[in-house]
Amino acid sequence: MTDTTRRVMIVPCSGIGKPYGTVSREAAYEIVEDLRPDHTQLVALSMLVMGDADARAAVAACPAVTIDGCKLACATKMVRESGGMVVREFAVLDVYRRHKDYKPQGIARLNEGGQKLAHVLAEEVATVVDDLATHLSSTQQEESQGGGHV
Amino acid sequence: MSDLPRRKVGVVACSGEEIAEGTVTRLAALRVLGYLRPDDTVTICLPLFLAGGEGDRQFARFYPTIAVDGCAKRCAARATEMYSGKPAASVVVSDVVAERGIGCVEGRRQLNDAGHQAVKATAEHIALLVDEWLGKTGGHHADMPTAPVSDPERSQEGETTCSCGSGIPVQNVMVDGHMVTFIALPLIMQQFRAAGKAPDEHTARDLLNTVRIYTEVPDGAEDAYTSALLRVYAAFCGQQEAT
Repeated sequence: MTDTTRRVMIVPCSGIGKPYGTVSREAAYEIVEDLRPDHTQLVALSMLVMGDADARAAVAACPAVTIDGCKLACATKMVRESGGMVVREFAVLDVYRRHKDYKPQGIARLNEGGQKLAHVLAEEVATVVDDLATHLSSTQQEESQGGGHV
Repeated sequence: MSDLPRRKVGVVACSGEEIAEGTVTRLAALRVLGYLRPDDTVTICLPLFLAGGEGDRQFARFYPTIAVDGCAKRCAARATEMYSGKPAASVVVSDVVAERGIGCVEGRRQLNDAGHQAVKATAEHIALLVDEWLGKTGGHHADMPTAPVSDPERSQEGETTCSCGSGIPVQNVMVDGHMVTFIALPLIMQQFRAAGKAPDEHTARDLLNTVRIYTEVPDGAEDAYTSALLRVYAAFCGQQEAT
């Protein structure tokens, strides 16, 4: 699944007003740079807002996982408005509710709790990416064997 | 005409997560919002122009806005103009880097030294633009904060939904049988009330003159709008007295 069209698009929140936005970005960076670099690709929300052709094509062709920093869920909404399929939407707040020990603080620079929360979140996203990778791989195999029915 | 609640400048960063310059826009905007010009600036998440409500889309009409972009695609400037209002100014990090002779900015997750220099330079540039728009030029250096800051992450005033400070309050009012959304009307009425303006014909005309800065008043509809505003303001004053 190293082909770009078979990667999972990771779309984090763009928010700069709360630590949760920073957690979403840090988690996204950890996934695409450290955990699953061969299976994922980061998509900037601003590109979707502007209707950038490449960004729209990427989310239209590949499954997307969104990571939102607040209930307004801009990342999820923008992927859907761009014609993409959100296979899983994460909300940092939900993850924090399950990991109250990791209270994120700091926007420009996350505290240790925020970094740990981002790591936990990244691990959860990585699990989703693995499931998708398996599914996409089997779909590819079926298609290559001539069983590519819709 | 009465002044609106304290005039501020909007700062909209592209936040481009894919490139290091996008990280520079975020950190530079935060530096301005939290340290250099905390009392003079507000921000909004760029996606809220589409994903948010009418109050979010009116952001650049309400605040003179500085768009801060990481690259020549200028997503923040173009999206702000397309969905909200023409930015008062546009800053592109790659231009600032070239003008200042700063080295290659790298590290979208952890900026290198050049990246940190770019943050400082971009923030100073934004601060100067803020001063220009607020008519405060010449009084202080761009890299100096204009007010003491105890908490750089404090919340912004206004009807904030996302803590980026978005959500300019709006109010729907029936005017001559049609529902009209008035931008910033709750704030305007609060200020009129605080100024002790009674709900009378004279105040209603003042209200119309203030309201039409943010909300279009069709030609020939002034009387209907004035009447509606007087009715709404009288109700607002009545509620305030009751509480």
